[in-house]
Amino acid sequence: MNPHRRHPFILSSAMLVYVFLYAPILVLILFSFNASRANITFEGFVPKFTDRVVMDGSLVKSSPCGPFHWFCELSKNQDVLEAAGNTLTIAFTSTIISTIIGTMAALALQRYTFRLKPFSQLSLYIPIVIPEIVMGIGILTLFSQLFGVLNGALGLTGDSRLSLGLGTVIVSHIAFSVPFVTLVVQARLQGFDKSFEEAAMDLGANEWTTFRRVTFPMIVPGILSGGLLAFTLSLDDFVITFFTNGPGSTTLPIYVYGLLRRIITPQVNALSTVWILTVFAAVLLLQLLQNREQKQN
Amino acid sequence: MSKSNVSKLLALFAIASMVLTACGGGTTATESPAAGAKVTSTGFVCPEPSPRVEVTSTELNIFVWTEYFPQDMLDCFELVYGIALNRDEYSSNEEMYAKVSAGGSAYDLVQPTDYIIGLMIRQELLQELDNSKMPNLGNFDAGWMNQDFDPGNKYSVPYLGGTDAIVVNTDTVENIPQSWADLWKPEYAGRMVFIDDSRAVIGLTLLTLGYDVNTTDPAQLEEAKAKLAELVPNIKVFDSDSPKTALIAGDADLGMVWTGEAFIANQENPAIQYIYPTEGPILWQDNWVMLTGAAHADAAYAWLNYTMQGDVFWLTIRDFQYTNPNTAALEYAKANYPDVYNAYADSPITNPPAEAVANGHGIKDVGDATPLYDNIWVEVKGE
Amino acid sequence: MLQRLRENKPAQGTLLAAPTLLWMIGLLIIPLLLTSVISFGRRSPDGDVIFTFTLDNYTRLLGYSTDCDTGQASCFNPLYMQILWRSLTLAFNTTVLVIALAYPLAYFIARAHPKRRNTFLFLVLIPLWTNFVIRVYAWMMLLRTQGVINLVLGWLAGLINVPFAPLEMLYTPGAVLVGMVYEFLPFMILPIYTSLEKIDNSLYEAAADLGASAIKTFWRVTLPLSMPGVVAGTILVFIPVMGTFIVSDILGGRQVILVGNLIQRQFLDARDPTFGSAASLILMIMTLIVTYFYTRKFGFGEEIVAA
Repeated sequence: MNPHRRHPFILSSAMLVYVFLYAPILVLILFSFNASRANITFEGFVPKFTDRVVMDGSLVKSSPCGPFHWFCELSKNQDVLEAAGNTLTIAFTSTIISTIIGTMAALALQRYTFRLKPFSQLSLYIPIVIPEIVMGIGILTLFSQLFGVLNGALGLTGDSRLSLGLGTVIVSHIAFSVPFVTLVVQARLQGFDKSFEEAAMDLGANEWTTFRRVTFPMIVPGILSGGLLAFTLSLDDFVITFFTNGPGSTTLPIYVYGLLRRIITPQVNALSTVWILTVFAAVLLLQLLQNREQKQN
Repeated sequence: MSKSNVSKLLALFAIASMVLTACGGGTTATESPAAGAKVTSTGFVCPEPSPRVEVTSTELNIFVWTEYFPQDMLDCFELVYGIALNRDEYSSNEEMYAKVSAGGSAYDLVQPTDYIIGLMIRQELLQELDNSKMPNLGNFDAGWMNQDFDPGNKYSVPYLGGTDAIVVNTDTVENIPQSWADLWKPEYAGRMVFIDDSRAVIGLTLLTLGYDVNTTDPAQLEEAKAKLAELVPNIKVFDSDSPKTALIAGDADLGMVWTGEAFIANQENPAIQYIYPTEGPILWQDNWVMLTGAAHADAAYAWLNYTMQGDVFWLTIRDFQYTNPNTAALEYAKANYPDVYNAYADSPITNPPAEAVANGHGIKDVGDATPLYDNIWVEVKGE
Repeated sequence: MLQRLRENKPAQGTLLAAPTLLWMIGLLIIPLLLTSVISFGRRSPDGDVIFTFTLDNYTRLLGYSTDCDTGQASCFNPLYMQILWRSLTLAFNTTVLVIALAYPLAYFIARAHPKRRNTFLFLVLIPLWTNFVIRVYAWMMLLRTQGVINLVLGWLAGLINVPFAPLEMLYTPGAVLVGMVYEFLPFMILPIYTSLEKIDNSLYEAAADLGASAIKTFWRVTLPLSMPGVVAGTILVFIPVMGTFIVSDILGGRQVILVGNLIQRQFLDARDPTFGSAASLILMIMTLIVTYFYTRKFGFGEEIVAA
């Protein structure tokens, strides 16, 4: 078989890399139970359940939530919940829109020839290869100039003034998601066997029905993959959001960055732990679903 | 990844998002505005606004310094008026100015330090304040009003003030520096934390050369640049967000920070002390200004008025100890929370000795020479 | 009219692609054009843009300035070239280290039992899906003077009675490198894994039959066939490293200035959008050049895109 499979060098280096990947995460999680508010060294777990928080110096000596003190603090934090809500709203909206228009574009590029085709294809590659900061700065410049002109020309003032906020962030997220969706769906379309479509047409179906009942179901996995990619990109985006957001449109990555700029209490760690565990749970769920599906087949 | 798995995953995310937006997307005030005291999540009882101002806006956007606001102050305003407060933060005046002047942002109130107000007025970024809408303005000590960066307080009202001076961990540093010039000593190399403030750092360099902190002479600035280039490699970390963290954590042993940062560091570790250098500390004052075209001006006046109340403003004495210009707040704290007041009043950090103030230097707007300072900063830090 | 549309295929294509095209033009092409225009402008003393045409910003980047502080006619300042060079070397070093760490792990997963491969992959994905900023913060906790690493080392030194002074790891260029490697490692593991996984087992068997040693098999079969994955991964690592400013901000104590930091500072602190735009464009051109030559030699790795 393969002579490399159980080579000790491969195994040990692989395990070392896993340790490298997970050590910081485990430290993060551990410190979210830190009794020290200053969070510089680990001063033991937050002990005891009492009916009030006792802080002696910067150590939490007892707390109604016991070791989960910082998680309780986190749940009372309205800013976090608002940021989480914003993040998901932005992710969902931008994913849905970019998936729809990206799929349309992929179909266009893969199956039609039209004058702007080479230009379109090329422009889709650009966001992938340029650094995010270049795109972020560019979009910020555009919005600043545009809003300045529009607000002046249309005489918009007060609340109706155009400004950076949730809308600008969503629009920017779509801009960097669409190329990825398009490329993924295009890759899927490339391997597509046209004979199915031709068969359907021979049997009398018109173009729309063919698309709806033959083409679309077969490219759906590609579309969903693209959508998931867009969702992930939007969820974790920092740089572009950093340049295009405004008051009231803070997302979780921006919020965490903001927390790091203040006194860092273990609440940041608690937030990180919740995030990590959510991802872990989602992944576990995915694993279980896949296993069950494989067993069914 | 098969179709059904992904759709299940998407359904999961959809449910999660609906739950979270229901939690977070609604009002940010957790208490219902019923009769009885409003209490924040830390148990602080919110004072009623006096006088209560009529407000129709439902939100207020403020753009403020990091580590500068007691959370209770923010929560109380939201509870008492039912207005959603959106706060974004910055850690340097230049950053604030860049975002505000770029346009497109929807902030109502910002907090520039004295020297940049002149620039903002010139650029027509600020609107004149209607002092009749702020009856609590009288709470401020006259010595902080009517300054030369804004005569008559047409555009600004004070918030907090302070100094930039040397901070030292006396446990880990043998020779305590006494002057700005001392910071150049090789024994401090790699152990210093400085605030990331171009005017302050260039300013103190100019002082060591015997020049004025607001000089516009290119030759003098060139000298300062050369001298600063010797210092920067010795600085371990530049941090305008929370420099006290490096001191408390032991990542840095000395440096240059603001009043409030030094005070908090000193509380965590009494060995950390604040030294006013012989050349004189840098004095500054932060102020509230309202941006032109602010969409929620009435909410802004309500906020200003509310926070100027003695029983609200004293929270800064409790949480972020800078030099306090609000006499009503000082009296309130003295009467009701003598421990907090005494810690503030007795500390030479928050109450600088008269000689230090007399010896101090204020940063001023340098107009057309600003790019010179900016260039020095970029070039010296890029090495 | 609908009938005419039905027959006009190119028009259909244009229509389908229209929304995406509009988005790309509006939010990519136009901003880039705007950035270019501004980069040729001049800065007003208050930090606004004066729209003229001057190459000053670009010559300043190259180090040649006609507007010297000392009043000389011209002077040479290699500062910005140094920053560009520093970013390039950091990106290069990061990429090399990331490949060195990613390859064994990707190989391990690709050669693992098919049932377990997904688990191993997910273990790689979990850090990737954890927030970027959080991961950088985690390294702050590890590297600081009283951080976990120093704690462990101190404890070990205590065990063997060796005097120990805490290592100064945070706020150094080394910390920035470690941070970058950590952030981008998963981006290299996945593409390399994908290309390794596609290698047909029969190739290995053939090599073994022909008497090739393990090393030779690797060098002449595995490595060349995994190149598309390495290429895709390099693009996914090299380019972001060139533009990241967070890692050097947080882990470098604002002392390590990379191109990303320079651009960010020009727009935020130094209030010189013209210079910042010029630096931004130069960065983009540099990455495009590097990508072009790299993919010319090694291919684009399109098949890896679906990773």
